[in-house]
Amino acid sequence: MDVEKKDRAVCLMFALMLAGGLLLCIFMPKDKYSDSERRMLTPMPGLSAGNVWSGRFMSGFEDYAADAFPFRDAFRRIKAVTAFKLFSRMDNNGIYEADGFLSSVEYPMNEADLERAAERFRHICDKYLTEKNKVYLSVIPDKNCFMAAASGHLAMDYDAFEGRMKELADFAEYIPISDLLDRDDYYRTDTHWRQEKIGDVAGRLAQAMGTHLSQNYEVHRLDHDFYGVYHGQSALMLPAEELKYLTDESIRNCQVYDWQNKREIPVYDFEKGEGRDPYEMFLSGSLSLLTMENPCAQTDKELVIFRDSFGSCIGPLLLEGYLQITLVDIRYIHPDYLGKFIDFDNCDVLFLYSTLVLNHSDTLK
Amino acid sequence: MLFSSITFLYYFLPLTLVLYFLSPGRLKSAVLLLASLVFYGWGEPRYVLLMVLSILSGYVFGLLVERYRKKRAGRALCVISVGISLSFLLCFKYLDFFLENLNRAAGLEISLLGLALPIGISFYTFQIISYTVDVYRGERAQRNLIHLAAYVVMFPQLIAGPIVRYSDIAGQLTVREHSFSGAASGIRRFVIGLGKKILIANQLGELCAGFRASEEKSVLFYWLYAVAFSLHIYFDFSGYSDMAIGLGRVFGFRFLENFHYPYISASITEFWRRWHISLGSWFRDYVYIPLGGNRKGQKRQLLNILIVWMLTGFWHGAAWNFILWGLYFAFFLTIEKLWLLKLLKGSRFWPHVYTLFLVMISFVIFNGESMGQLLSDLAGLVGTGGIPLVSAEAVYYLRSFGIVLLTAVAGATPVFRSFMLKISKDPIGGKVLNLAEPFALAGVMLVITAYLVDGSFNPFLYFRF
Repeated sequence: MDVEKKDRAVCLMFALMLAGGLLLCIFMPKDKYSDSERRMLTPMPGLSAGNVWSGRFMSGFEDYAADAFPFRDAFRRIKAVTAFKLFSRMDNNGIYEADGFLSSVEYPMNEADLERAAERFRHICDKYLTEKNKVYLSVIPDKNCFMAAASGHLAMDYDAFEGRMKELADFAEYIPISDLLDRDDYYRTDTHWRQEKIGDVAGRLAQAMGTHLSQNYEVHRLDHDFYGVYHGQSALMLPAEELKYLTDESIRNCQVYDWQNKREIPVYDFEKGEGRDPYEMFLSGSLSLLTMENPCAQTDKELVIFRDSFGSCIGPLLLEGYLQITLVDIRYIHPDYLGKFIDFDNCDVLFLYSTLVLNHSDTLK
Repeated sequence: MLFSSITFLYYFLPLTLVLYFLSPGRLKSAVLLLASLVFYGWGEPRYVLLMVLSILSGYVFGLLVERYRKKRAGRALCVISVGISLSFLLCFKYLDFFLENLNRAAGLEISLLGLALPIGISFYTFQIISYTVDVYRGERAQRNLIHLAAYVVMFPQLIAGPIVRYSDIAGQLTVREHSFSGAASGIRRFVIGLGKKILIANQLGELCAGFRASEEKSVLFYWLYAVAFSLHIYFDFSGYSDMAIGLGRVFGFRFLENFHYPYISASITEFWRRWHISLGSWFRDYVYIPLGGNRKGQKRQLLNILIVWMLTGFWHGAAWNFILWGLYFAFFLTIEKLWLLKLLKGSRFWPHVYTLFLVMISFVIFNGESMGQLLSDLAGLVGTGGIPLVSAEAVYYLRSFGIVLLTAVAGATPVFRSFMLKISKDPIGGKVLNLAEPFALAGVMLVITAYLVDGSFNPFLYFRF
């Protein structure tokens, strides 16, 4: 190819890319929601003189143009692959992959957040509990605990984390569980642990709280593929996973009441299991206050679990040992309102939180 | 509007190119002007009026200065025009700085204006000044308001330069050549510039932001930051200049070069001949020489250097660190002029080390958000304050950005260019290059688009559901 032809080819290529891009941007149908990022995409801003004069239209349009760009996920994939393969970046937007497991960098340990979390827990104890209540604390290590250091990524000192929480929450008896976990107990493409792998954790918690679980669970598999939150966020092509769930007599007969929406809900919400975020099938995802009644209980023990999303998964496994378990998520309900719904007399209380929430405890009310 | 945005690349640019190339020759400047006003107004619509006022002032005074330039009134009119342009700059860019320092020094409580800085005001003010002064010096005043306005507001160089001198493109405003070869070379330059900005500068910017956010500083981290920021600012700024020069070429203009591998310089004097060339030559021609340059003895020359470099620093921003940055260069340029330059010529290796070190320190000063931070950054480089030599975060960032850093270091030298030139001279290599170039540019554009699209990555924090 001579220089003149090359110059024409360069001009043609550029013109085609810009014109093609423009036409696709204008005419291609726009998504309102990004399944991969699990968020609403920025809509086209309203055009008005006021919006233009203030600059709001322009800034809104910049966000819209990037969000509504055709084949957005394919471009995000190109970016991720370029970052990892061409530039050998250790992470892309804070997400990294090691041996087929995805995780997000969680570093450093935020001392102030740990203090805040402990202060919120203490407030609950001071407000509602007496010496008759037994109070427990357990910290769920996030996946990085088992993979970050080994793959050369930034890793918090999880022993120090646990130690600090124990120290700060000296009003609670600490139940260690990290020795029972490893990387395979978590989904490859998701933040969370796998229910079928945490029977031993449930057993440890129950034993420490003075009850016993027979753990005769039946394992079931959700019918369709599971792609965790990091799958879309990383924009990498990783294989689908199986989402499994456990049942036993207590779980099958359990009645769950959702105080937030004032309705009965199932332990495993299969509608949610077919939705955008199948992990929400465990106790219907992000709900502020739930009560699980166990009609098959051989005991009158009651437990209140202050928990995050990890608790939705392990909560049902503890049912056998209790007549009633109440699950509270103080990211969605202020603790000061709990007295209206929960009778704390003679209840055991467990603060069960993942390091991810404790390390960013500004979300706790 | 930024070049490095989806809005510019896939909305504004194609529409502007279509309108421009479909319009007849006599309307092309008007189309360019209109597009430039939209481009400018996109970022800050209110300040379009300020820009129009600046242009009208430059236009009227240009005509008046031309009419009276052989009389005493011509000089006065030129001074008034420069004064008006500088008063806009003073009001929007520097007034709060002066008030703040006055308040601090005299214990006063004068309220600050808090005006947003009009985008590109430092660049277009200097262009209008250059126009008036060039007319005073004998250049023909522009009678066509559209041509003058297009010169001042031309979007390729409006936001980040280069500072285009009126005398350099006066002829091109009226008549300019459009060709496939010119457009192709412009496109090539634009894509390379965009790649420098998006693929290198922005990633290095991430590293610098990571350093700032880190609470785990170490000596290694400070050095990593200093190197990364020096490369970041070069790739960011020279990338913008490449894009401006490239776009100008597509529209038939030939802008002068603004960067010429500054990091291979063997002295600070040479560095400033290669770094932001349009600014250096502007200060030389419109400040240093009118002050007397080197014609009034050595003492006066040194004073002129001091004034010019203090102003150069201050031009970059209304803060003490910028003034310090300018004075820092004045100091080393003076030393070099007095005796060091001769000494540097005696060696091949050490002058580069000397220059790179001083330039890197200068950019640490440049990027200090306050004098306190600046001093702490400089202290961090030598490990004072009990910080460790190495931290986990520093090692992580070094590993994560290692390839980007190495690419940037190589890209800051003529290595790639020499390599490509060598291949192109080979008969087969040349043909392969010609064949590959359109595809390579398309590939780079795709990757750049991918980075821009991913720029709005903003996931829902699922784990808090």
